[in-house]
Amino acid sequence: MSGVRALRVYLLLAGAAFRAEFQYRGNLFINILGGLFYQGVGLAFIWAVLDRFGQVGGWGLSEIAFLYGLRLTAHGLWLLPGHQLVHIDEVVIEGEYDRYLIRPVSPLVQLLTRRLRLSALGDLAGGAVLLALASARAPVDWSPGAVGFLLLAVMGGALVEGSLQLAASALAFRMKQVAPIKFAIDMIFSDFGNYPLKIFGTAAGFGLTFVFPLAFVAYLPATVLLDREDELAVPVWLGWGAPVAGVLLMYAAYRFWERQTRSYESSGH
Amino acid sequence: MPVIEVADLVKEFRRPKQQHGSFAAVRTLLTREYTVKRAVDGVSFRIEPGEMVGYLGPNGAGKSTTIKMLTGILVPTSGTVQVAGTTPWRDRARNARQIGVVFGQRSQLWWDLPLRESLWLIGRLYDVPADRFAQKQKQFAELLDLGPFLDTPVRQLSLGQRMRGDLAAAMLYDPSILYLDEPTVGLDVVAKERIRTFVGRLNRESGTTVVLTTHDLDDVEELCDRIVLIDHGKVAYDGDVDELKARYAPHRELVVQTDHLEGVEGAEVVRREEGKVWLRFDPSVTPPAELVAAVLARHRVTDLSIVEPELESVIHRIYADRR
Repeated sequence: MSGVRALRVYLLLAGAAFRAEFQYRGNLFINILGGLFYQGVGLAFIWAVLDRFGQVGGWGLSEIAFLYGLRLTAHGLWLLPGHQLVHIDEVVIEGEYDRYLIRPVSPLVQLLTRRLRLSALGDLAGGAVLLALASARAPVDWSPGAVGFLLLAVMGGALVEGSLQLAASALAFRMKQVAPIKFAIDMIFSDFGNYPLKIFGTAAGFGLTFVFPLAFVAYLPATVLLDREDELAVPVWLGWGAPVAGVLLMYAAYRFWERQTRSYESSGH
Repeated sequence: MPVIEVADLVKEFRRPKQQHGSFAAVRTLLTREYTVKRAVDGVSFRIEPGEMVGYLGPNGAGKSTTIKMLTGILVPTSGTVQVAGTTPWRDRARNARQIGVVFGQRSQLWWDLPLRESLWLIGRLYDVPADRFAQKQKQFAELLDLGPFLDTPVRQLSLGQRMRGDLAAAMLYDPSILYLDEPTVGLDVVAKERIRTFVGRLNRESGTTVVLTTHDLDDVEELCDRIVLIDHGKVAYDGDVDELKARYAPHRELVVQTDHLEGVEGAEVVRREEGKVWLRFDPSVTPPAELVAAVLARHRVTDLSIVEPELESVIHRIYADRR
């Protein structure tokens, strides 16, 4: 299936999911508010830490807020289309995936559009506002090139997080129960992603770059934009190349997903 | 040329072996021992365009697994399937355009949206031109009487209405093959009849090939000329419905309403009840006309009828013989 057609089908089905969601209007607003509130609590925690210690790992409030905003926007940008992967276990175990396979469109697109969870809009909006405010105050020279890189970095970050979640979800076709793995991945992103990586030490920094590619989401692009390359333990080009990592990882994850779907066993016989 | 060609089809399911005793769950998770279950064990058959075939078997016989391989949902362990020139699990999207699938147990419509919108979405997914779509929707709305609930969200439809909606959705894009998996399960007599009439008509007017799995043998008697019987993953019978009856249930029964009947030559009394006597005979040995004449000559009869064996009891006998 060509990319253009996949996109057209995605928009068609996402529109249907959106209209379906409007059947439960009350839910809709509670969901968006919930998303905003959840992220607000996380931010309040960091603010409390900074308020007490002034800086974290040499990063001041506006720089931490910039890092946080970058990660949160990337997270929201991934979550808005990707949220339904959270239900992969039940979709596979209960055989709902059958239905996707008998349509002449991508099963993954159908899975992603089975419902629309608008709480992701809360994350995305919260992240974008924070990122905009922090960008204005952080010591960054906002040349057009820098703005362009920031946009690419957000998309790359969304792809990095998405690729790990997609790969973990693909395991469901064999393992059936992958929710704990996906939950763990989510925890690592939200617990470690909002801080300068160097505060965790060399070994953890290496692990969170090359084993679990967390650094590519926000830390590496934020470090080069904030002109803090000196603290990097990796070559600077890796920082500027962070968005490319997202594309490569997502490509690999998608190939893995495609392979794993062949192990689908449906339900009942 | 056959439209569906299945050869030596096998599907095995491999499960980690269930461990017992202490830490059973953890040991099950880590075990390298597997139990292999052969759900489909070397099935072969061919279906010609325009045939209506009942694919029957007891629970767990491998019916659904076969259908899932034909529709491209499951990848077989070995063997080949050709559906109108495609290998379903390899050319999944291409195959999807030429088949309609209805699962009685599970709707394929958008649960929270009105039926009308589900149909519209399907039209778009299958690239049905707008005028063709309008024509099809109008035709199905009439045939299946969808009008009264076209604007109702699917989750609020009765089972019978939902099935009619699913059938319309499966045929909107004119597929040449229709798979029906338990299409009448849980439906009342009227709803069942409506669905059978619609399917029969599709077959007659558009030449749609129909593969039907069901536990309701009335569906089969009414729709199918041929059945493929599967048991323990193997084909137990493949052929004519009439031939099946002739082979496994050659007897007919003559039901005679009379006050007294001891016995007749060439037939055996199998049951007596409230002034009725059931006589079983083999029509190839005792011609029905002779039997009737013999009964009428010697007894005062108020009513009589000849009963054909029901497919249901025939199939029960086949399964019983194979155990």
